[in-house]
Formats: sequence, C-alpha cells, structure tokens
Amino acid sequence: MALLDQDHAFELAEAIVAASSADETEVSIECIEDRFVRFGHEGPTQSADRDHYDLSVRVRFHGPGGYREARSTSGTIDHASAVAALGRAQLLAKIATPRPEALPLGGPVDVEGTSPSRPTQDHTFKEKAEWIGAALAAAEKERLFASGLARTTVMSRSLVNSAGRQVHGATSRAEFALTCSDGGSDGESRGGAAASSSIACFVDQVEVERVIEDAVRSAVLSREPRPIDPGAFTVLLEPAAVSALLSMATEAGFGARSFSEGSSFMAGRLGEKLFPENVSLVDDPLHPALRGWRFDGEGAARGRTEMISAGELRAPVTDSRWAQKLGLPNTGHGVPQPSAYGPSAEHLVMEAGSSSRDELLAAVGDGLLVRQLHYVNIVEPQTLSLTGMTRGGTFRIRGGQVAEPVQNLRFTQSLVESLRQVVAVGDRSQRSGSLMGGEVVAPAIVLRDFAFTSRA
Amino acid sequence: MADTMQNQGSTPSTAEGKGITAGSSRAGSSIEDLAQVAVDLAMQRGADYADARIVRLARETLTVHNGAVADAEAPDEFGVGLRVLKDGAFGFAAAPTTYGGLGDVLPGLARRALALARDLAPLRRRPIQMSGEATARGEYATPVVENPFLVPLEEKVDLLLRADRGMSGRREIVSRLASIGIQREEQWQVTSEGGATHQVLMRAGGRIEAIASAGGVVERRSYPNALEGDFRGGGFEVIRSSQLDVHAERVRDEAIALCHADVCPGGKRTLILGGSQLALQIHESVGHPTELDRILGEERDLAGGSFAGLGDLGGLQYGSKHVSFVADSTAKGGLDTRGWDDDGVASRRFEVVREGRFVGVMGGRASSGRAGISESGSVSRAEGWYSPPIDRITNLSLVPGSGSLEDLIASSEDGTIFADTVKTWSIDQERRNFQFTCEVAWEIRGGRRSRLLRLPTYQGNSVAFWNSCDAVAGPQEWRLYGVVNCGKGNPMQIAEMSHGAAPARFRGVQMLDMSGGTSV
Repeated sequence: MALLDQDHAFELAEAIVAASSADETEVSIECIEDRFVRFGHEGPTQSADRDHYDLSVRVRFHGPGGYREARSTSGTIDHASAVAALGRAQLLAKIATPRPEALPLGGPVDVEGTSPSRPTQDHTFKEKAEWIGAALAAAEKERLFASGLARTTVMSRSLVNSAGRQVHGATSRAEFALTCSDGGSDGESRGGAAASSSIACFVDQVEVERVIEDAVRSAVLSREPRPIDPGAFTVLLEPAAVSALLSMATEAGFGARSFSEGSSFMAGRLGEKLFPENVSLVDDPLHPALRGWRFDGEGAARGRTEMISAGELRAPVTDSRWAQKLGLPNTGHGVPQPSAYGPSAEHLVMEAGSSSRDELLAAVGDGLLVRQLHYVNIVEPQTLSLTGMTRGGTFRIRGGQVAEPVQNLRFTQSLVESLRQVVAVGDRSQRSGSLMGGEVVAPAIVLRDFAFTSRA
Repeated sequence: MADTMQNQGSTPSTAEGKGITAGSSRAGSSIEDLAQVAVDLAMQRGADYADARIVRLARETLTVHNGAVADAEAPDEFGVGLRVLKDGAFGFAAAPTTYGGLGDVLPGLARRALALARDLAPLRRRPIQMSGEATARGEYATPVVENPFLVPLEEKVDLLLRADRGMSGRREIVSRLASIGIQREEQWQVTSEGGATHQVLMRAGGRIEAIASAGGVVERRSYPNALEGDFRGGGFEVIRSSQLDVHAERVRDEAIALCHADVCPGGKRTLILGGSQLALQIHESVGHPTELDRILGEERDLAGGSFAGLGDLGGLQYGSKHVSFVADSTAKGGLDTRGWDDDGVASRRFEVVREGRFVGVMGGRASSGRAGISESGSVSRAEGWYSPPIDRITNLSLVPGSGSLEDLIASSEDGTIFADTVKTWSIDQERRNFQFTCEVAWEIRGGRRSRLLRLPTYQGNSVAFWNSCDAVAGPQEWRLYGVVNCGKGNPMQIAEMSHGAAPARFRGVQMLDMSGGTSV
C-alpha cells in the first residue's frame, strides 16, 4: 500500500461529496506509512512495518437555527466504507444542535502541494539496523545500557469540500533517539544517563553519529551524580528541555479558545511587551526543520503566525470559528470540526538568538545545565505554572564551565515568569519532542531563578 | 444516503448493535479462518512463532459544549496485525482492510513481518523467548445490560443537554462540557501454538466539567472523574449509573466557589485522598513501576525505567501494612477485563503488593521469558490492530480496609487536608518522585470538612508515600475508576485499565503552597 496521490485522493473524496445529501460536506483523508524499531541493550524489542488510513466525513445541514453538523470516520478507504461513514455522520448531524453563528464552509484556497521524501519513504529496516548496531556497539564500549528508537514515517493529507475547497499535501519525518545509562532498572539515579535525538524532515538529515556520540559522551560524564539541594538556579536549558516547556503552551497559552475564556496568559494583554527583546515565538509550518502541514483541519491555509515578537504579545492562533468570534484573522490552526477543542499552535518555533555555547555558559556563570525535562504538565494554566523532572544528564555549571553531574530535581515554575527571565538565547536551533507529545524547534536558552522544588 | 441506518421513527445510534461476529470475507472464509491463514503463511515462510489479530473497533462520542452538540463522532476501523518471531527477533506488520479484502493483504503482511524480523535478528544479543503458557481457545464478551449502540441518539443527547442545563445559570461559568463515549472492540486472534480466541469488549463512560472565572481566577470542577471521564467495561448502564445531570449543579457551584477559595497551604500535613485521585496515584506510583518491561529497562528511552528491581521482589516494603494491591484482568466492570491478553494468555488475578510487601510484577510473555518468570501476568496488550503488544498495567486495585470516608475524616486531626479529583500530575522517569495537584480540597476542622481550598498540591516519593498510609476506608467506599488514556511505548500506544480504590489517609505529606506559583 502507498500514500494516496493528489488525484486519487480527490477522486475518492469527490465521490463521497457527490453521494452526500447534506447541504455541505467535507471529506478528509489521511494516509500513513510508518516503520520503526525500538531497542534495548539486548537489541530490538518491538518493531513495525505498518500502514494506517483515516477517512473522515463532515456533514452540515442548514436550517432555521443555523447549521447542524457532525463527523464520522473510517479506518479503510474503500467506497463502501466511506459511504457507511457518510451515513453515520448524517445520522449524527440530525441530533446536533443548530449553530446560528457558524459560517458556511470555506471555498477554494491557494495552498501549495507538498510531496513525501522518497528516500525517507524507501528507508529500509536493514538501514535502521545499521543505526542501531552502531549505537549498541558504542554504548557497550563504555559499559552503558542503550535504548532508543529508529523510525521513518511518511504521511499524506487531502481535504475536499462541497464549497470547492481542494487541498493536498504530504510530509516526511525521520527520527533516531538514543538513551544511554548505567545498568539496572533505575540506572539513571544510581548511575549516569543521557539521551540524545535527531528528528528531521528527511532521512538523510538524521544525525546518527552526532546522536550516538552525544548520548554516550554525556552519559559517561553524568556518572556518579551528586545530590543537590533544590532551590532557584540560573539554568542553561538545552533545546530538548526548552521544547518540553514550550509544548505545554501550544493550546493553553497560544490558542484562541483559551484566550477567549481567560485562561491564557495572553488574555487581555495583546500589545504588551511582557518578555525580553530576545524572546520571539512563532508558529511556522514552513520552517525548514518542520516542513509541516500547510492547511488545517478545515483546509484553511496556514502560514507563519507571530504570537510573541521581540517580547511583545501579538496574537493567539485561531481557526474559522474563533477568528469570527474574536474578530481576528483565521490563522489556519483548527482541528477537524466540529470539535469542542480550540485551535493549537502545532508548529511552534522559538527564534534563535546570537549566543554561542561558550557565551551561554558564561551567561550562566554559576548554575545548572539541564539537557532534558520529563513528564512536564500544567499545574495552573493562567501563568502556565508547570512541573516536571530533569532527566538525561543534569550538571552543575561553575565559573561558566560545565562541572560535576548532579542528581535529578523536580521543578515547579511558571513558564510565563521563566520567559521573562531569559538572559541569553543560543544561536542554533533543534527540533525536539517530549513525552507529552508535540515537537518544537528551539535553541538553548539561559534564564534566571528557575525554581527546583524537590529531589528525585 | 441519509437514512440508510434509520429505523422506527427515532434517530438510532450510529450502528445497529455493531454486531459482526458472523462476519465473513467475500471469498466465504470466516474471519477466524483468515487469521489462521495469516499465521500459516508466516509459519510456511519460516517463522518460529506467529500470531494474528484481526480487530474491528467502533466508537461513538458525543459532546455538548455550552448548550450545543459540539462534537459528534463515530469512528469505525478494521485491520489486521501479524506478529512473528524469527531467529529470536520479533517482526510485526499491520494494515487496514475490509472483510472482503482481508484475504488479499495477508501474504504481503507475512512477507513484511518475516523480512523485518530477519533484518533485526542479528542485532539480538540474546534471543527473545516467550514464557510457556497454556494454549487458549474460546469466546469472551463483556457482560452488557444495555447495548449502548442501540440507545437512540436523541436519548443520549437529551441526557447530555440535561447535564449541561444543570451547570448553566451562573455568569461565572465560562465553559460547560458534557460528554459520553462508547466503544466496541471485537478481536479474533490465532496463534501458531494452536490458540484461537474471539472476544467482544464493550466500554462506556462520560463526564461533566464546568470552568468558572471570577476575580481573576479560573478553576475547573469535574464529575465523576477528570480528564476523559469515568469509563467502565459494560454497556449504557454504566453511563446511566453516573447520573451526570444529578451532579451538574454541584459541579457548577463548586467550580465557582473554588475561584473564591483560599489556596491550599503548604507544609507537612496529613492528607486524605478520595478514590478518584487515588486511582491515578495508584496508576503512576504502583502500576507503571511494577511493569516488567520497565523494570528490565526496555522502556527507558521515552517513558523511563523503574525504581523497583526484580531483586526487590519479596523484600521491598513498598507500603505500610494497610497497603495491598491486586492485579485482576477478570475484575467485574474493569476496562481491562477480558478473556485473554494479546499474547493469548488467559486473564488472571494476582498480588502485586501484599500488606506492604512487593510480591508481583506485571509482565507479558516476552518480558517474563527474559526475566525467567514461568507464568506471565496476562498483561500484554496492543492498541488496536495497528501496534505490537507491550506490557501494560492491567486493572490494579488497592484492597479496601474498613470504615467510611466520614470515619476517616472524623478521626483526623485539625489541619488535615482532604483532596480529590486530579487536576495535573507528573512523575519522574523511574516513578520515584511525583507531584499531583487536585481540583478540590477541604481542610478538616473538628472532625469535619471546613473551608474549601483550591490548588491542593502534594509531592512525594512513591515508597515513602505508600509507607505513610495509616488507613484505607472499607468496601462500602471502594469502587473502580477508569483510566482511558494511558500512554506508553514509543511510538506511544494508548490503553485502558481500571483502578479500584477507597479513600485513604497518609501522614506527613509534603504539600506545596501554590499561591506564589512555585514556592514550597
């Protein structure tokens, strides 16, 4: 099986739109080819060569009170399954509440089509095995336990609606992640550990050697971590740690629904220069490290959106519904509708600064280097008060130099307050993921008064 | 097209019972036969072991937001996953298909799964060996009183609108949400060891949530559980029993009251946790640390490891004498209650912690084989047809003690905090250090609940915390709470399970004062 090309996807979707008795119909099709290998120190543990389809039908009936609408999906894309999904959606729409404020479906938009990366699509398990073999050998040489993931994924999305909108695109993603630690199930706290990863749009951009060298070297350096008392520190957060923090703000901080309901820190403060000059955050699906979707769940075009520019709060991300409600432009950040969920910044980018690594360390002077944060979650949405743990190598910084490894700490800290305390921004960005999902492109940053509240 | 499923004048649900147990492919073979074909193809091509799972998953979700049906979805999927073991390495291939197309995809899946295992086998330092288990054959279905797919849609929406109306009428409420979900998972599994099982698992549940904004404070209150709500194995009777509309006004009023409440004070306190909060506490600080694949270090790359080791079995004092945990995939109403796991092992009940002592782990056949454990815990599960099985927490419950919640409160000193319903949570990669914030708390004065408190936040170490437990309420307070969104693995898979709990009391717990945002 393969991804659907644009013509095939449009043909399938148009047939369902034509078969619909609803006043308005929208059909979206997503196809995924996914290949991955997980490994532990004894070798591969799980692997999969798998395909996934999702065909989704949204119907709308217009009446005196407005639109009644609903959605249904099918995991297979044959015509009969699609028609069955259409039937379910039409049934559901009959019991939906009319929405007088709902706008008609959007018409044609100009969205440039994108294609999957053929080398990524064709990357074999033998090639993934070579990555893993090199990682296992390097870890064993240092008597470290290795675990990680090698994965390539290609996806296509297409959307057709009865108002004439037709959009199609494809993306590629490749990842190699490695965690190295001393032995035992709790190797990290008794010994050292470090994780490193490379996530790229194309398989030939995955930095396998860099990941192995970084994870192994850092794990060796992190051996025998020393206990440290919690408290407020100036910290150098590596890009993976920055990503784990910022990914909690995609909807709760930058989404128009949170903004409207008053639970976002941006509510009522647009135009305010809340952060230092070196803090700029955008949502950018066109960023070369992301090359994401150029249209949202309703097929609306999506481009670069500035949420924070040189420290100034600019605007939340919107979809058609919330843009109308708030009188703001539709930035194209909607999830498939109808939905109780609001828009979300899925392609978050923190702009890089000008500081070299040595300059970042010098800006810290005396503090902590945090490579990674784990299980970050929101304690309080208005201030984006977050909690989570350091992991994968935490070090003291003394006199602007990386010093001894320290044991993991829990932090409880407002992200909004942290961004106000940024004193330096690194000159290199990296795409990173986190346990809670989502990926962010971010540089390393230095910030003051980061509150650690307990030991591991 | 609109009325292809309509009947009897009312709007029916999105399928007529979703029953497809008699389904067969266009070629006339039964689905069981085709699962056997998949396994035979793999074995003929050289597999040492193979299992095929064919899964149909149907769901229906209805959400009312601020008085309107905001989300109405009915996903339906059907696919096949084939797992092989060759030269000590697993290979897995999966594809969506239709009944008629099932036979056509199987040869390709067998070829891909075998090729994958062969490519990876040279990397195995030690071959994967699955624990030996009895061959499973049979049928299982979740006991259901009322098929939720046959309940008319209008009745479901009416139930949600009544709950929504109960939460309305106060200007402080900025968001009202009521939702229900039903799920039917039908699975045919065949193994090369002669196993052949068919099971139909039904799950249902719902929730209400009110968000209030007043005086610059935004607070949320949920019932009967936060996050996705409270789900159980069963039919529409599960949703009816929650009585969402009955609790709506209370939820609304508590959300508003929380906006005006004091922030919970910090410091060392006695803490009573309600069952809903305890369910997630159990999940995070007992469930995940006792998963065998985590203990063996195989989840370390994303989710993490465990503070517990195999060497701790029988020796580690995980909790006080009041604390016993039982894993039970046969528990009535559990979200992970079924006939067999995805390794084809019959469901079972076993102790994980006995009167405080760590005595059991939750491992599937592969991790049990690696650890030298002769019998697995029947905990190997995959998300749908699309994913290979991994070790999973099953239904894991705190054994009840005695007395009522009010007895617990009455016997607690002034300043004790009673907190319930998770708001946020976090735990480290070895499941040692955790921090939870609940939606609501009350300070205990004179043996009774007194002032309402918001942002109750407590922090601790798993073993120390469970050892500080000095009382667990009795069976009359005990019930199962569902977790429907447990993420594990990389790529992440979602699974469901239940945790039974009665309110319990813990001494000397570190509470955080969140009034300043971060200070202890």
